[in-house]
Amino acid sequence: MGRMGAIARAVITDSLRRQVIYVVLLFAAVMTAVIPSLPNYDLGMETGVFREFALALVYVAAVVTALALAANRIPGEAERRTVYSILGKRVARWEYVVGTWLGMLGVMAGLIAAFTAIVQVVAFFTYKDPMWVMWLGALAMILEMGVVLALAIAISTRFGPVVVAVATLAGLFIGHSRSTLVGGLGAVDLKPFYPSLDAFNIVMPVSYGGGVAPVYVLAMIVVFVGLSGALLTLGVLFMQRRDL
Amino acid sequence: MSLSEVAVRVDCAHKSYRRNMLVKPRAVVDGVSIDVMRGSIHGLLGPNGAGKTTTLKMLIGLVRPDSGTFQVLGEDSTRPRGRRDLGFLPEQPYFPTHLSALQAMRFYGRLAGVAREDRDRRAFELLEVVGLNGFEHAELSKFSRGMLQRLGIAQAIVARPAVVVLDEPASGLDPVGQRDMRNLMTGLREQGTTVLLSSHQLSEVEAICDRVSILNAGKVAAEGHIDDLLNVGGQTSVRVRGLSGLPADVAAVATDVALSGGHQVFSIPDSAVRRVVDLLDEAGGSIVSVAPKRSSLEDYFARLIADTRKGVA
Repeated sequence: MGRMGAIARAVITDSLRRQVIYVVLLFAAVMTAVIPSLPNYDLGMETGVFREFALALVYVAAVVTALALAANRIPGEAERRTVYSILGKRVARWEYVVGTWLGMLGVMAGLIAAFTAIVQVVAFFTYKDPMWVMWLGALAMILEMGVVLALAIAISTRFGPVVVAVATLAGLFIGHSRSTLVGGLGAVDLKPFYPSLDAFNIVMPVSYGGGVAPVYVLAMIVVFVGLSGALLTLGVLFMQRRDL
Repeated sequence: MSLSEVAVRVDCAHKSYRRNMLVKPRAVVDGVSIDVMRGSIHGLLGPNGAGKTTTLKMLIGLVRPDSGTFQVLGEDSTRPRGRRDLGFLPEQPYFPTHLSALQAMRFYGRLAGVAREDRDRRAFELLEVVGLNGFEHAELSKFSRGMLQRLGIAQAIVARPAVVVLDEPASGLDPVGQRDMRNLMTGLREQGTTVLLSSHQLSEVEAICDRVSILNAGKVAAEGHIDDLLNVGGQTSVRVRGLSGLPADVAAVATDVALSGGHQVFSIPDSAVRRVVDLLDEAGGSIVSVAPKRSSLEDYFARLIADTRKGVA
């Protein structure tokens, strides 16, 4: 864990000095403060609508930040040759890939936690309700961003930032389109084999219900581990075959 | 050469690249074999595109060889485990510019397996060795090319490796920096460290290397002890002062006569050395040196590359 930890820490310190994070954070804070004044509020549903809007806002901000962080991390390090001094030591390529992912996941977790805290503050002052259930939404989002980052990193071990951004967005779309894309294939039911991200979509229970059961959280973690593991394995295989 | 004497072994290395599927792969390294003795400084020379950097990258595991064996102290250096005792300075090293020199050294120390309690002490010690003391807390974005090069050396030896691979270590350094670098490399050799050095600076290589391998067009064009390569067989170089011209009997056997810094410098056959020394003595000359004639590495290199190219053509 020592070498991976060092790489993850380097990714975190490097990411935290990037302005995009603070711009997105500020934008999300301003937008969250504005949500309660939106006109289309159904009577008695204010807090639910607030939570739904806030989750959507945090989600968009998280995706933008994840792409900004991941798209050029490995291609940039290969191009600037900073990777030579890392892989020239006793660092395995898998440690480099996984360490990079862990660092980015750490940044995203911190960022989503900060967003959620801002949402809580706004909710408390507006509705006198700290909305602790939002943390379930935050957890689901962190897990989904982990998968998104694993996808972006896997692609970035072979391709440049533009391809990474486009392919990751396509992956995100595909991941949330299971029912549309494999819903009607007659006798062959492909749904169980589809790499779906729908498990992380808990907007409705968080916004209008009491959240999800602990067993569902466990299921989300299983999906997160499975998908992230598969994508990182792919990334490591790509990276192993790459000449630097 | 027994295995225990060899610190680095590259055996029959091959690497080809193809631009696309329609063209034949082009060999950039074609059967290169190099043995680097323990505790020596071994120079890797060659014109641009000779395959030096690719060979080093394959040794470090940055480039996947098509075939060949790469060993450092008997272990496969293409695997991380085999790089435990290896330090590497890439050509024109770059580092995360938001870090300070000290932070960078801590980072590379951690990657290289330096114990936590030793990291800071080692970082300060090495930053002083490479002449960066006083810049420990300066951000690398403010560093000049030469300073980054010095930091590159420091990170390469942070874990006291037994073998150091340096790709163009003097690149970007001013004359004082180049001298410091030479001293550092000879200092490493004195401590028993093996240095494999790729360089275009032939005077530097000639001054400090024990052995050299000269690559051209992906193959080893020459390899050996630097004295053996540069000595011109059967000829002795004589330097004498206090004479305005050579005595007639000496002039009859002397070749390449030149005046250099008030000294007469010339070459004679080995068989004439004793007689020539006596004649110069009788003529009142004061002999400064009598040594086997050597060509400069620059001349040797240029001649070898030209001959190899003629052979290829």
